[in-house]
Amino acid sequence: MLFNSLTFVVFFAVVLTAYWSMRSWNARKNLLVIASYVFYGAWNPPFAALLFSTTAMDFWLGKRIAKAKERHSRRVWLVGSVCMNLSMLGFFKYGNFLLQNFQWLLARIGIIYQPPHLDILLPVGISFYTFHSLSYTLDIYRGVLQPTKSLRDFVLAVSFFPQLVAGPIVRAGDFLPQLVRPPGLRAGQFLWGLLLMTLGLFEKIVLADTMLSGSADRIFGYAGPLAALDSWLGVMAFAGQIFFDFAGYSTCAIGAALCLGFHLKDNFRFPYAAIGFSDFWRRWHISLSTFLRDYLYIPLGGNQVRPVRAATNLVIVMFLGGLWHGAAWTFVVWGLLHGSYLVVERVIRVFFENKEWASNLTTRLLAGFATYVAVCVAWVFFRASDFTNAARMLRGMFGGHAHGDAILTTREMLQIALVTAGMILVHWSLRDSNIETAVTRLPRWVVTAAWALMACAIILTQGNSNAFIYFQF
Amino acid sequence: MPSSTSNFKRRLRLPRLFFRKPSQFESVHGGPPLEYERPIPRLAWRGITVVVVLIVIAGTCAWEFYCRSIGYGPTLNDNEDLWTMTRRRVKPESVVIIGDSRAWFDLDLDELQKGLGKRPVQLAMGGGCAYPVLADLANDENFHGTIVCSVVPRLFVAPPGTPPMERGEKAVRRSHTQTPAQRASQYLAMPLEEHVAFLKQEELTLDDLLKRLPIPNRPYAQVPPRLPPYFGTLDPERRSRMIEECARPGSELQRRIQQIWLPLFTPPPPPTYIPREDFGKKMGAAIEARFHDVAAAVQKLRARGGKIVFVRFPHSGELKKLEDRETPRAGIWDRLIKETGAPGIYYEDYPELSGFNCPEWSHLSAGDSVEFSKRLVPHLRRALQL
Repeated sequence: MLFNSLTFVVFFAVVLTAYWSMRSWNARKNLLVIASYVFYGAWNPPFAALLFSTTAMDFWLGKRIAKAKERHSRRVWLVGSVCMNLSMLGFFKYGNFLLQNFQWLLARIGIIYQPPHLDILLPVGISFYTFHSLSYTLDIYRGVLQPTKSLRDFVLAVSFFPQLVAGPIVRAGDFLPQLVRPPGLRAGQFLWGLLLMTLGLFEKIVLADTMLSGSADRIFGYAGPLAALDSWLGVMAFAGQIFFDFAGYSTCAIGAALCLGFHLKDNFRFPYAAIGFSDFWRRWHISLSTFLRDYLYIPLGGNQVRPVRAATNLVIVMFLGGLWHGAAWTFVVWGLLHGSYLVVERVIRVFFENKEWASNLTTRLLAGFATYVAVCVAWVFFRASDFTNAARMLRGMFGGHAHGDAILTTREMLQIALVTAGMILVHWSLRDSNIETAVTRLPRWVVTAAWALMACAIILTQGNSNAFIYFQF
Repeated sequence: MPSSTSNFKRRLRLPRLFFRKPSQFESVHGGPPLEYERPIPRLAWRGITVVVVLIVIAGTCAWEFYCRSIGYGPTLNDNEDLWTMTRRRVKPESVVIIGDSRAWFDLDLDELQKGLGKRPVQLAMGGGCAYPVLADLANDENFHGTIVCSVVPRLFVAPPGTPPMERGEKAVRRSHTQTPAQRASQYLAMPLEEHVAFLKQEELTLDDLLKRLPIPNRPYAQVPPRLPPYFGTLDPERRSRMIEECARPGSELQRRIQQIWLPLFTPPPPPTYIPREDFGKKMGAAIEARFHDVAAAVQKLRARGGKIVFVRFPHSGELKKLEDRETPRAGIWDRLIKETGAPGIYYEDYPELSGFNCPEWSHLSAGDSVEFSKRLVPHLRRALQL
């Protein structure tokens, strides 16, 4: 079920009404479990069984890890959980990719092998709920979380519908405590939740789908040489589209959870105002970057190892982060590019961090601009359908096509320029703050006008139920 | 528990989950204590919400009245979900109409039901290529009914990757992959679309309104062709009828649509990055492949006892001249009939079918479509040996 669909509007209204009219906390939690499975099953009912089975397995494995006294047996149970989750992910998401690469490798040594094409349907949101579930066993193993006694609570923690299919990746350790006692609604919480949902839908339907996606699709789908201006505008359009699409989903999820009395953390903090790439990853898809940091980077040694090893660890983490996004080498290159950006940034910091000029406004602005440009270059690999497409885009961007085609209309160019300029302005003006503080400072009439305008714009676009980009991950 | 905005920095602190022993509370309740609570801006939320709701209701009503005042009326949107809903009505022995908007506007289901003894299922789609639907029906082992296929040559041989093909492919794909949520959304949307005039997915959305802004373009900018404005209504069976304003002789709407058809039916120039000769060869190969694929699909259908008849529907004025020039009968129509061995009804061959005038050059008015269907029935019966 999509947030931007009529079905969700009716579904959410029914769930909210039933939820807040129930007195028993257990009944409410039962309702949320049923609602979450209906939400997920409305896409493909049989996969709800898959979701339940992985959740139930992790619940059981969590108990085994906690009960095991010896370090060795704890590790065995954890490995079981990790293998179960990753093999599920590997089969559904990477099955065909692995077969194709195996075929390619065999062909290199002269063996012709024609693998069967596995007609595998990717369960929506599998990358997200696998990580929700995996965080539980990992935290129990690390000794920072006690297993919950209630299967129902754990099922709800993994499948809570606002964050189920496209994040944020909410760790069981962050959500289970919220199930201990019934949440109270603070003054304004419900309506603030609704405003956040409006903002999220506005970002998705109006800014991503209406203002930017058409231009990005046209540029990335063009088979000929492109002029530099059009190439850059296409990439900027995609940079904006993916931000508004994904941040829009996260904002909707946070808003929906707030309406139900739950608190989810921010998944984005104005990433296009990042100065440097480590700053970017503290602001972009925070729930994934912190997940990778805590469960992969730190166990690999983190910063407590030699610089070369730390750099290698960074690249490994970003390689896997890229692969998490999709079963294609273009995603891997995107991840590796970010990994190399992070390494280069570390080297630069060693030399220039203590210089006085390094922290003045001009340097910061220039560094912010350079970060944005480098991130845009990396987006080329993320969006391109293959390396030929990516190479053509990059050639266009860096003047490789002297007489490239100028295909964008003036309206499209204006839309990209205005939305991108507005986005970057907002990100820079709020980079050290948050949306709640900004709204508190605004005059009441501005908040009213902005909310009404966003709602009217959503109605005007009539929401054609385009799926969120991150659903495919 | 912190509650004011003055110390929200404390609240934004990430839970200290790492490498610490669980407290007694955690051991009992199964997790670390909640350390994170989202700040809520302190504003007069109730007052704000009331004003927002009033503005949104007023704005929506004003937009609805404005759209009605300029000629729009409520009707269903033709999307993949409505198509899928109709596709589900296809029974093994159904009569199914496929193809483009001419079959959509020009065939009256009541008249065809009277004449053929079965109520046809309308699967034609505006600006769509018939092939993906034909292939889908041919591959449907349960189907051995009758297909009435409209042929507009340019749309019929549209190569893969072009909008007419994509339209058909998207609809067919949706019919195989539609989720329960998409199905529910369609059921919820239909009553709204039947009563609200501004719900026009291909015309009155923000995107479409922006496209109409009169902004000059660079010389070689690829401006997508304009599509005709609202001129027909659609019912739940997907029967389309031309609105009166469009059928009224000399109306402004009629003139506007006529001028839109001409560029839309003119072949676009080949892409700059492919030599003209190569492009021509590529197109030729794509058309040959289409003939081959259609013939194979027809053969498959017939092998199960199914029947198909191709129909060329009336068109008039400058558009007819353009179509006759760009896609002459001898080119695609005759070849199609020859390759498939299927019966064909070319309206110009029969005086009782060729006397109709299309008000906007491409489709019959609602009234004429009833008469045309009545006159077409005997030809269909003969061609299908009913």
